[in-house]
This record gives sequence, C-alpha cells and structure tokens, in this order.
Amino acid sequence: MHHEEVFTNRNVSESSAYYYVDIETYPTSGWDKFKQVVKRTFNGELFVGLWVVLREMIKFDIHTLQYPLEKLPIGPRYRAVHKLLRLWESGYERCIGCGLCEKICISDCIRMDTRIDENSRKEVTEYSINLGRCIFCGYCAEVCPELAIVHGQRYENASEQRAHFVIKDDMLTPLDLLKAGEQAEYPGFGAIIPGSDASVKKTPLAY
Amino acid sequence: MINFTINNQPVTAQKGETILQAARKAGFYIPTMCYLEKTTPCASCRLCVVETDKTDGLILSCQTPPIEGLSVTLDSDRLKTERTNIMRLYDVNHPLECGVCDKSGACDLQNKTLEFGVSAQHFSAKEQHRHIEHWGLVNYDPSLCILCEKCVHVCNEIIGDDAITLQFGGYKSSVIPKNSDVLDCTFCGECIAVCPVGALVSSEFQYSANAWELSQVPATCVHCSAGCSLSYEVKHTSTSNGEDRIYRVTNDFEHTTLCGAGRFGFDFDHQASKDEAEFAKAIHAIKSAEAIRFSSLITNEEALILQRLKEKTGLKLYNEEARAYQSFMAAYSSISGKSGFGGSLDAITQSDGIIVLGGRISTDNPVVRYAVTTAARHRGAKVIYMHPLEDELLQNVVTQFVKYEVGTEEGVVAMLAATLLEGADISEENREYFKELDEGYLCAESNVGDEEFTRIAQSMKRAKRKTLVIGSDVLNHKRSSNIARLCAMIETYTEFSVVVIPTNVNTVGVSLICDLDSDNGSANVVGYNAAGSYTIGSFGDAMLPLAALNSQEGTFVSINYQVLPTNVAVAFKGYTLNDLANTLGVKAENTIDYTLALPREKGFERKSFDDLGNFFGALGEDYRGYMLENRDIEASGVLEEIADLPEFNGTVVYRCNPVNQFNSYTARTSQLEKDTTLRGSAQFAAAAKIGDGDKIQIEFKSATQERIFKLDTSLKGTVALVPAYDEAFGALNEQYRFEKVKIMKMGSGS
Repeated sequence: MHHEEVFTNRNVSESSAYYYVDIETYPTSGWDKFKQVVKRTFNGELFVGLWVVLREMIKFDIHTLQYPLEKLPIGPRYRAVHKLLRLWESGYERCIGCGLCEKICISDCIRMDTRIDENSRKEVTEYSINLGRCIFCGYCAEVCPELAIVHGQRYENASEQRAHFVIKDDMLTPLDLLKAGEQAEYPGFGAIIPGSDASVKKTPLAY
Repeated sequence: MINFTINNQPVTAQKGETILQAARKAGFYIPTMCYLEKTTPCASCRLCVVETDKTDGLILSCQTPPIEGLSVTLDSDRLKTERTNIMRLYDVNHPLECGVCDKSGACDLQNKTLEFGVSAQHFSAKEQHRHIEHWGLVNYDPSLCILCEKCVHVCNEIIGDDAITLQFGGYKSSVIPKNSDVLDCTFCGECIAVCPVGALVSSEFQYSANAWELSQVPATCVHCSAGCSLSYEVKHTSTSNGEDRIYRVTNDFEHTTLCGAGRFGFDFDHQASKDEAEFAKAIHAIKSAEAIRFSSLITNEEALILQRLKEKTGLKLYNEEARAYQSFMAAYSSISGKSGFGGSLDAITQSDGIIVLGGRISTDNPVVRYAVTTAARHRGAKVIYMHPLEDELLQNVVTQFVKYEVGTEEGVVAMLAATLLEGADISEENREYFKELDEGYLCAESNVGDEEFTRIAQSMKRAKRKTLVIGSDVLNHKRSSNIARLCAMIETYTEFSVVVIPTNVNTVGVSLICDLDSDNGSANVVGYNAAGSYTIGSFGDAMLPLAALNSQEGTFVSINYQVLPTNVAVAFKGYTLNDLANTLGVKAENTIDYTLALPREKGFERKSFDDLGNFFGALGEDYRGYMLENRDIEASGVLEEIADLPEFNGTVVYRCNPVNQFNSYTARTSQLEKDTTLRGSAQFAAAAKIGDGDKIQIEFKSATQERIFKLDTSLKGTVALVPAYDEAFGALNEQYRFEKVKIMKMGSGS
C-alpha cells in the first residue's frame, strides 16, 4: 500500500518533529565500563536471540534464501552480464558480426574477431566484453539488429581480476540448453515486444 | 571559356569540361553513382541527369559539355522523381546484408538510398541465384554488383590490364574476367578501390573488420619511386591483442591509382624490443667500420643522419644504386642547366606522344605504366617502346616496339636524339656532332633500322605534348653519363619533357642529400638494409633491428621531385637510426627534426614535418608535401664521342622483378605472389639447354645463385628475366641490369 507522509516543515526547532534521542552517557572510568560489560553479557538477551533461531528452525518454515544456490528473481529489464543467443530453429549463432555493439559501446569494452568462413559467410570467431570497464548501459543490446547480444540475469562479477574477460564461450547459449528449450528470450531493453510476430514484414515492399 | 548558368547562377566552364565538372568546381552538388574523375564517363547510372532550357529531355551532365548561354537546372521536382526512381531500381533485390557487408558505412548505395529516402521496394524482380566468385586476391559477389562499370573502365583505361568486362544480359548482367575463366591480371586491386558497393572486395580483408573501426594513417607507398599516396588502415590485432595491425590499404581512387604492391603489400612491418647489448655492439661496429652501405629504402631524414655521421666521423657512405642516379642526373644537368628533369607522371598522362626507353616500366614503376596507358586511352597517344625485351603487359598501348640489342643504349639514344633534334635550334658543334654520328655502325650494332627512327619521327611530328621516359637500365650503363647528356639534349632543344625513373622509393632523396662514395666492395662495412659485416635495419636477418618504413615517419622524394611525408602505421618498440646517431654524437630528439634541416641548396624548403600535408582536395588538388625547386645549374657539359657498342652474346639475363614485387619488403608480405624463378622463352631454354621446372645454378660475375627455371610463353628472344627482389644477389640497380651469365643444370623438373 502506498503511504504518503505529509512532512513539509524542515525547520529544526523545539516545535518541529525532530527531537534528540535520549542516549545513555558512555561510562568513562574503568570500573563503570566493566559494569556495563557484565550487565550486557548476563542480562539474558543472548538467549532471547538463540531462542528465536531455535524456534524458527523447529518450525521448518524458513524464509531465508539459500544464496548462492537460490537467487531472488530480478526485474526483466535489469542489465546484468551479457549473453549471446542462438537462433531457435537452426541453432546458429544470431550474431552476424556487424560490429554495431562495438561501435556504440561508450566504454569501448566490446571487441570481436571476424573472418570469412568456408561458405563465404561472416563468422564471429571471438567476442569479448571487458566487464571491468562495462558500465552496463545496455546500448549494445539496444543497437543489436539481430537480438543476439542481450543482458542476462547473472550479476555476480567476482573474479580474481577486476578486468576479467567475458569470452564468447561463456556468453553463448550452449547447444544442449537451446535444444532443451532453456534459452530465455530477453524481455528487457531492445527486445521485441510481445506479439510482434504479427507485424513482421519480410522485405519492405510497397506493393 | 563558356559562360552558362546553373540554377540561375552564372558559371564558367573551360573548353572540354562537362557540365558536371564545371558544376562541381563551382560548388554545386550533382549526385552520381558511376562517375570517376579519372576515367571517361561510364554513363551507366543516369543519376547525374539535369534539365536545360535547350533540350526537351533530361541530359547526362557527366558527358555533356555546356554551350554558351545554356541554362541548367539541377533540382527540379522532375529531376528528383527521376533520381529517386533510379535509386529504387538500384535497390531492387539488393541483398539486405549491410550488417555483414565490408562496404557498409562507406557505401555509395547506402548513402544515396538514404539520401533519396528509399525505404521500401517499389518494383519486383525474380530473385536469382548467383555465385560468389573467388578470383585470387579479389572476391566478386554479383548479387551486390550494381553494374556501374567503374571497375571495367579503370581496368581498361588506367591500368591497361583489360582483364574484366561486362557480360550483358539485362537483369542477369555481371562482371566477368575477359577472355578467361579466372581473373588473369596484375592484381592492382584498383577495381576493389573504385567499387561503390561491396561487390568487389579484397579476399584477405573480407569480413575481418568494419570500415568505421579502422583508423586511417595517411602515408606514402615505399615500394617504388612513384611515391603514391595511400592510407594504411589499422585496428587492434584481435580481441586478445591490443597492438595495432594494418588490415588494408586504401587510396584516394578518384585522383590516384595504386598498384598491387601498394595495395596488398602492406604487412612488411616487423617487431623488436630494445636490446642494449646488441645496441652497444652496433655502436661499436659503426665506430670501427670504414663505411655504411645502405639501400634507398630510407627516409630523407635518415639519409641526412647518415650524411651528418659521415661529416662528423669520416665514415664513407655506399649506395651504388643512388650513386648511379646521382651521376646520371649530374651529367644530365650539365647539358640541361636544370637540377632535375622537366617531366612528371602528370606530364606523361597529358602526353599524346610517348617514347619509353631502357626500362621495363610495367614492373619497375607501375604508375608510369598507368600514366602511359591513360595517355594512350584518353589522348590516343602514340607510344613507342624501345627495349631489348618486348613487354606483354604493354602490348595494348604500344604503337611501335623498337627492339635494340642489349648494351647498345648509348647508340640508340644517340640515334634517337639525332632523329628528334633534326631542325632544332642547337649549337653548331652539336649539329656537327650529330652529323658525324656513324649511323651505319650504330644501326647495325643496335639492330635498329633507319626506317624505325623515321617512323618514330613521323609519329612524334604530329604529337603536341611529348614525353621521353628513361628507364633505369641506363643508370648503370657504362656510358650512362653520355646517355644522360644525350637525353638532356632532347629535353632542352625539343618539345619533349623527360622523366627518368629512379629505382627505389627514395633514390632521388638519397642522391640529393648524401655525398656518396664509390663502393669498393670492402668487408668492414655496416649495412643498413644492405649487405655488411654488421647489419642494421628492417630487412630479414638484420643484427640490430630498426623500424621498417611503415613504422617510421619522415619524407621521401618521388619521381615527380615532390617531397612526400609518410607516417607511422604500426608502432615499433626497438631502436631507430636516430638513437644510434645520438650515441655517436649526431644529436636530435626525433628523426623528423631533420626535416627542417634538409639541404636548401638542393631545393628543399625550410618546412617542418608537421607542416606537410598529405591529402588531396575534393577536386584533386594535391596537398601532399611540396615540390622541390628545379634549380638552375651551370650547363658546361659537352657531348662525348659514342664509344664502341658492347656485345652481349651467349646466355644473358635481365634483372627484372615479377609483377608486384620490388624489394625485401614486398618479398615478405603475405598476399603478394612470390615468384623467384628465372623466366625465359623457349628460345632461351633451347640455347641454355634447360627445360621448364629445371633446377639451375646461375653464375654471375660476383656470385652464384640457385633458382628454378620457368618457361614463359609470353616471352620472346634470348634474354631471360631473373628476379632481384629477394635480394639473393644484391638490389635491382646496383649494376647494369643485363648480365652475361653461365647457367648450369642442377636437376630436372617434374
């Protein structure tokens, strides 16, 4: 429920909503400090806490998320570590190596190697994003004409090196996952809107 | 001068200019797809249509000259509709593969499609299945081709290979190799450069980088003396290697033409780190050496460093190839009274009468060949080619081939001078000199008939602009000085302008800057890109690696006496010659500090390197470097008696590189073909008792080398061609290019 607090008076004065918190004075002498420690240690609060934990454990109704085994779902437009997707039907890589992401990247952290393959087609042999520099702005996903480079949901970037590379093999959907239907279509920025199949034209023909 | 109006504004055109040229000069924009400034109009795109008050229909501005008082309209609604419809037709079934196309971002079709707002396909045609052709260094995708014919025109009119043509078939038309199944040409790659779409692309470059990722480094080609303008296009090597690498070479194809060595022979850079121990060794070697031997693949600045080293330490400087040019030009100036010859590549292009003597221009300096071809095609120039060997690559342009015997250049030039100087205003002694020539002897020994000279005189009589091109054979001829004087006579007293082809990229610069000594072949010599007991430089196995010429900044002096700057395309981490010089006491912070100090008495200007331009203006104005001053020199030379003409009997070979090969740099590039065989005719094979594919040993005066013999059916006569670019036996022009050798068969071919 949306709660709207009316609070406009920002003057700090006697009559305002601000008040001083009553804080017990800190002990100064050694004896007073010792007394405080003993009082805090043996007043039973520790057992209150332990009891709460025990009670919840026995109930087996645990709300704790088992991170890193479990993760909270994050918003579809969250821009985490990139993924390279494959075509659903053929399993080919969607990336055609046009280089637009490389060009638009404002932190200049995308690089790719391309070459001509045996069938005279452009092949992307290597694709890398330097996550140490990436600011996760999402321009690459937005500019991609093939919906090939998208943002995924993986947000952990722990590594031995800050500027650890993300290489193509890490990002590309593995073929077995694709066949199992586990490649998720990216619903975030730059994605096709639901139901857009209906409005797809093959070639912009005027007739 | 023709006065007319464009969009009601007054414009003047020179005689012979078209409406398009006049409009562009006056700053008007007329869209074109097939127009190339340097060829005759292709007139295939019809985008340049304009309206006039004197015609009912639309006319093509690219091929129509204006008439006095004409009123031209460039941007009526009718024209806009017409042009938009043309663009719509161009886009019919053009593959929507801009995402992968090499040309994307630099594509004329893309630009014009956006300019005319063609966003949908208004006409339909059945999609055809078309094969991508692989022609060696060139790939051709007919489905991308818009049939503008630029490639065909440039190949035929400028290059002279005449290797491609249009196969007409309406919608099925495509570009095909002419009279052949595969592309058989000199692989200059100019067709790739002029292609407005991605139909013709470099097979090595294709799909390796996008146009917008590459940075252009304006530079000067280092392979021959033409000093062509080119851009090295560089990008990081790969995802894991951030060092720059050259991906391709492009040129300003509207105004310049590049040969295959320039376009495909770019990866001759090498890498080295700073090895202090080796550096100390090099310093020691230079200190204890008596001379530095160097090649002319060197910048002016480095040449000046060597000269300063000589002045400071008394080291001698050996460069036989540049010294030959130096003494040739000294003798030349002693007659002409000018420090340089008067011709240029432009002069050749503008000529309608050309005599080429003593050089195989199509491989020595392809740009001279292109200039000759252009003159022949555009001006109907008479081209007389005088050489002991016929050149198949020139057969389409040569109107008269004059074959003379090997070694008789002096006699031939004397006879030529006598022919051309007939009736000229020359001094009494000179007239007497030519009168006293023993024509019978000269004609007999050189095997050039009297009637051939008569024919030359006849065809040159009608020509208005005439050029004499002197090849590098004569530079190392025993009588080169007298040949130079005779050539100078021709330039001074006739309408001919003369062009002498220097051998290497900076032969001219070295000859102007360095005070060269005669090479006595001594062993205690430091070689800079040349042989020596200690070697430095960028060739093959130099002991102390220095930067290659595409890793250096500096200037060259071209065949046109133009000082041309070049820039660093690929960084080099090792030492430079300047580092060595600094240690030896010739101090300057950077090599290019010497640009200011280039000798003014030789015609150099006091301009610093950073003030030199390296580009062309929109209308082709040349803003590259500056022209050397052609200084006046005291003309005190006298013609000498013609010496007895030498005879070259037996097995004679001619040092001549195969197409697109020039030096150690081209020899180590990845794309250029490396033919190291001895090529000879069937007649030569029979005389030398060898056959195709035989392993042979060639015994020169000073060395022997092993090669494979290749029977070349395009050759005639008894002289074989031996390549010099692989430096197995010195550089091309260290001595007279013809040599009598012994050939021994080592093993037979397959």
